[in-house]
Amino acid sequence: MLKKKEKQPSFTLVRKRVPYLFILPWIIGFLVFTLGPLGSSLIMSLFDWPITGEAKFIGLNNFTKMFTADPQFYDSLVITFKFAAIFVPLNLISALVLALLITQPVKGVKIFRTIFYLPAVVSGVAVSIIWGWIFNSEFGVLNYLLSLIGIEGPSWLIDPKWAIVTIVIASAWGVGTMMLIFYTDIKGIPPELYEAASIDGAGPLRQFFNITIPTITPTILFNVITSVIAALQQLTLVLLLTGGGPLKSTYFYGLFVYNNAFKHHQLGYASANAWFMFIIILILTMLIFKSSSTWVFYEAEMKKGGKK
Amino acid sequence: MKLSKMKLILLFTIALALLLSACNSTKSNSDEATEDGKVKIRFATWDVGNDVQLQQNLIDEFNAKNEKIKVVLEAYGGEYDTKITAGIGAKDAPDVMYMWNYPQYKDALEPLDSYIDKNGEEYKSDFYESLWNYNSVGGETLGLPVGYTTHVVYYNKDLFDEKGLEYPQAGWTWADLQETAKKLTNKDKKITGFAFPGKPDPYDFEMYLWGNGASYVDSDGKLKGNLNSTKSIETFSLFQDMLKDGYAITTEGSGDTEMKSGKVGMFINGAWYLSPLKEAGINYGVVEVPTFENGKSVSIVSSSGIAMSKDSKHKEAAFEFMKFWTGKEANKERIAFELPVLKSVVEEEKLQEDPVKGVFYSMLEQSEGYTPASFITENWSQVSENLGFVFEQIFNPSTRVDPKKALNEAVK
Repeated sequence: MLKKKEKQPSFTLVRKRVPYLFILPWIIGFLVFTLGPLGSSLIMSLFDWPITGEAKFIGLNNFTKMFTADPQFYDSLVITFKFAAIFVPLNLISALVLALLITQPVKGVKIFRTIFYLPAVVSGVAVSIIWGWIFNSEFGVLNYLLSLIGIEGPSWLIDPKWAIVTIVIASAWGVGTMMLIFYTDIKGIPPELYEAASIDGAGPLRQFFNITIPTITPTILFNVITSVIAALQQLTLVLLLTGGGPLKSTYFYGLFVYNNAFKHHQLGYASANAWFMFIIILILTMLIFKSSSTWVFYEAEMKKGGKK
Repeated sequence: MKLSKMKLILLFTIALALLLSACNSTKSNSDEATEDGKVKIRFATWDVGNDVQLQQNLIDEFNAKNEKIKVVLEAYGGEYDTKITAGIGAKDAPDVMYMWNYPQYKDALEPLDSYIDKNGEEYKSDFYESLWNYNSVGGETLGLPVGYTTHVVYYNKDLFDEKGLEYPQAGWTWADLQETAKKLTNKDKKITGFAFPGKPDPYDFEMYLWGNGASYVDSDGKLKGNLNSTKSIETFSLFQDMLKDGYAITTEGSGDTEMKSGKVGMFINGAWYLSPLKEAGINYGVVEVPTFENGKSVSIVSSSGIAMSKDSKHKEAAFEFMKFWTGKEANKERIAFELPVLKSVVEEEKLQEDPVKGVFYSMLEQSEGYTPASFITENWSQVSENLGFVFEQIFNPSTRVDPKKALNEAVK
């Protein structure tokens, strides 16, 4: 008895320590590269912090300036939300459609799967450069193809009305990751459900809306949240493809923050900008989560009797 | 339980200590001498690819000859400015670094006048005078010139030949350019006579104002009365009218893509496109920028220099290396990709007689005495962004605001 008692603590000790050891690299990475900068940027947001020269404490002045004295702040915010409003639904739908296509038992489906996923692994920089060529209004491939079917393409990167569409199209290129997540989920739906449904006389459309969609709602929730966040943080494409233009029509919030920090060297102000976006994203994510109880379906809940 | 927590904390501390010491070691290295007793100088370059190799060879040469100094090349590549900025912010800037945007970094750079004076008047006067202007801020020299480019007109010889037009000559006017552009334009073949950026970099565009006797700002940095002066408005109208009349187009980038397509007769830019255009198979010539009536052919200078960090621990050694890097030998080594900045080298290599490179030198000599607004205005990056937006409004086909209206609005 006595011996056993002695052994017990050392056993739990090992049991508790080992898992932490395994995630230690991640913890260190998180502390040093995520939590550290997060905290220091909050402190920086209270300073007038040029890169050369001394930082000066100015309290909440960065935030007041942002809300009262910088029209670009509001413009950028509106543009970014406009982009998110177009991008998120479009991206979700196209990812879902593609996922459905690659779940079909067609010959060569593996090749299609690879092709659809390929753009997602290409670096954003390369994608931006390539789209820059494609969209060139005079010599671009896209307008050439359009001219073949008798359409005179718009000046994609020159006309402010079209520029945001350009960004939406170019960013939809990275739809592969989301498609893959949908794909694995759809693959996981038991075929019996479909069999039963077709015996009952449900067509493919009915099956899609009554079986596929409800089953994958948790995945949809996940994809909605991640793509909202991605849309609000979009930077690479505008930085490299349009530089915020034409006429600041694609001056996204991400670019606004980036330019304030690295072009205008106002690190404090940029930190304040970044924190504001962080809070907006936090609130949006919480709202989406809150709303999820009305439309997301969890099997576990159902088994409990669907009380909630 | 308690023990495990303690151990965990201990582990954390060890791990963190290791991590921090890893960060520290790079710092202490630069303070101390290298193993062989030499002083270590960190040197940052923005060049990429082959150019880096060329620079490394040159540095190896220096290191081999020098008993006391060892230079280490740090190639930062694309995001050069961001990395330099971060380095300066973290008090970990390289001792010597490539530099062009002096006003933005002036507080972090060591004034070099005293070092230069020690080397005598002759040393200083071998550099082209116009370049010192671009390597100083507020009367203090902050860098030694390494390379430069002025802007010139590139013209597509094949398109000229097709129409039987004579190649333009130095001393031509904007009216001549317009006339030529009109003749070159062929709507059916989608050929346009002239192209310029639809969103010109305000830094570059100021040269056209200079040519017409105007500028963005006066010596106090005031826009009002300068940017919207009659001469300035006239300059913008000239460009806008070319678009309206259809013999010029705006380009989406700096214009090289359009020029490479072989469908543009002329465009104005720096020496960067000499080899890319050649590689694209364009048979081109270069000529001086046209003049305005009673004006001069002037160009902005895009200059590169090397500057010393204020925080450098080995300033004498750093300057020793900077002298080597801007000396005759190094200028000659770089001749393939950089226009030499020393008069003696230009003379020895007979560059002024070169039909292509010579144009860049005559533009440089004619452009002495102009100071870009970026060196005068505080907070140029913000001003430049605002100006860029106004220029875009003037040239973008979907707005094409009247220059007078746009510029009057801009100075408010």
